[in-house]
This record gives sequence, structure tokens and C-alpha cells, in this order.
Amino acid sequence: MPAAESHVAHHFPDLEVQSHAARLGMWLFLATEVLLFGGLFTAYALYRMLYPSAFHGASRLIETSMGALNTVVLITSSLTVALAFHYSRQSRNRLAALLLVATIGLGFVFLGVKAVEYAHHFREGHLPGRFYRYAGLQVPGASMFFTVYFLMTGLHGIHVIIGMGVLTWLAVGAWRGSYGGDYTTPIELGGMYWHLVDLIWIFLFPLLYLI
Amino acid sequence: MSAETEHKHAGPGRYVAVWIALLLFTALTVALGRSHLAGSWGLPVALAIAVVKSTLVVLFFMHLWDHGGANRLVLATALVFVALLIGLVLLDSATRFPLADPPTEATMRLMPPGPGAPPGVEPAAARP
Repeated sequence: MPAAESHVAHHFPDLEVQSHAARLGMWLFLATEVLLFGGLFTAYALYRMLYPSAFHGASRLIETSMGALNTVVLITSSLTVALAFHYSRQSRNRLAALLLVATIGLGFVFLGVKAVEYAHHFREGHLPGRFYRYAGLQVPGASMFFTVYFLMTGLHGIHVIIGMGVLTWLAVGAWRGSYGGDYTTPIELGGMYWHLVDLIWIFLFPLLYLI
Repeated sequence: MSAETEHKHAGPGRYVAVWIALLLFTALTVALGRSHLAGSWGLPVALAIAVVKSTLVVLFFMHLWDHGGANRLVLATALVFVALLIGLVLLDSATRFPLADPPTEATMRLMPPGPGAPPGVEPAAARP
């Protein structure tokens, strides 16, 4: 397959070795992402241990149904990006591109729901630190919950936006037929990044919305 | 090589099955969280469901089921260090005593020996 061989860098013997190396490199990067979010999960665990009842009360202020909706949206977007990889393997590039576009659309839905939630919190004064001004729950630690909430969902939201940027680039490439067959590494790695974003949310949802 | 990769790569049915399982687990965790059926076990149960869901994502969406070896080792190492960080931070915080000025009997017993040690109380290291 001459088209695929042209993707192999000169220091790799063949495409399969190159794909293995790329995949391992991506896992190393994702490990650093896990550690990055690990710091925030540590902060969450510590402050939840110090202020259990404040965290319980403050979590009532965020709408469970919105979080559940966003969970379904992200899980479905993980499916569409996985299917995009699958059809790219079969060189059905247009279908793969459309599935990537659907994933980006679900990313927009996620961000829209999050924006509605954020707007509500800004109106009600559910804000971090000294900006917290919600009269209905005035206990030590309530502002700390929203500090952790905004840091975790904010960093996650930034990852969603970056992921959507990567997927846009991949969708254009897939539509033009740059990938397909044995050469699908960009779609595989971009998909792994998107799955990690889903993975983080799977933990954020119960910890923030369901306590 | 084409036959081998085809063999390693499962069809779309597996992705859809994982997606349905993830939706069911999401419904389960929401139902348990809303009804407070689990009581004080709410957090462990919710975390257990999240671990099951993320395992499905990692194994089948991120293909660790098919691509093992070093990839699994990298992820496992990261998770071990996150567990160490959370575990040790919580352990540290849970075993602290309230600082007191003037020091109480409890704080003085924990004080290291030296010129700063208050008179009348044996520092910890001096006792057998």
C-alpha cells in the first residue's frame, strides 16, 4: 500500500511500529492529564472531608438533571467518535467525517448546558471564595464547594473546547480523505483525548451533583 | 498486516453495547443518588459505578482491551500516583490535632526534644 507507507517517518521500520509508538506517546500524555486532574480531585477530597455538611448542602444548589443530561451527551459523543475511528479504518472517510462533526455538535450541546448552569450560579451568587453571596446557605465551606466546582468544571470545559478544536481538524482531514485504512492514527489519538474528557466527567458528575 | 489488524479490531456492535451499558449505569447512579437508598454508602456506591463506567470506556472506547502492555502500565502508574496523593493528603489531614497556643498536654507530648521544649513535660523522644 504505497499511500499508507508515505505516512511512515524514516526512523520507523513500518506503519505498525509507528502506530504503536504514537499510541504509547498518547497514553503518556493522558497520564499527565490524569495527574493534572488528580490534584483537583485531591482538593475536592480534602475539603469535602473538612466540610461534609456544607458540601452536601451546596451540592443541592446545582441541578442534578443538568449534570445527568451532560453525562448522556458526553457518553454519546464518545460513541460517535469511536464509530468515526471504526469507519475510518474501513476507509469510509465521509461517514467518519460526519460522525466527527456530530461529536463536535454534542460538544457544543455540552458547553451550552454548562453555560446555562454557570449563568444561573452567577445570578444566584453561587461563586467561589469571597464572591459567594448566596443568602440561602451561609455556612463555612459552602464557598469552598463552589471554588472546587468552578475549578474542576472549568478545567474540564477547557479540555472540551480543546478537544472540539482537535476534532474539527480531524473532521476536515477525514472529509478530504487524509486518513483511512491502515493509517488512522490521528483519529485514534484525537478520539482517545475526547474519551479522556468523557472519563473525567464520569467522575465529576457523581462527586459534584450526586452528594 | 491487514488481516491481523482486522482481527484485532471489533465491529461497531461492541461500541454500541458499551454505550448502552454506560447509559444504564448513568441511570442507575442518578436513581441511587436521588433516592438516597444507599444512605451513608452513597459515596462508595457512586464511586464504584463511576469506576465501572470508566473501566468500560478505557477498555473498549480507548482500546486497552486490545492494546495492552506498556499502555496499560502507563495508565496504571498514573492512577497509583493519584491514589497515593489523595490517600496521603487525607491521612495527613485526618491525623492532625488542633493547634493550640498556649500548648495543651496533647500538643506538648508531640513536641520534638530540644531547647524549645517546655519545662515539666518530657519530650516524646526522651521517653522509653
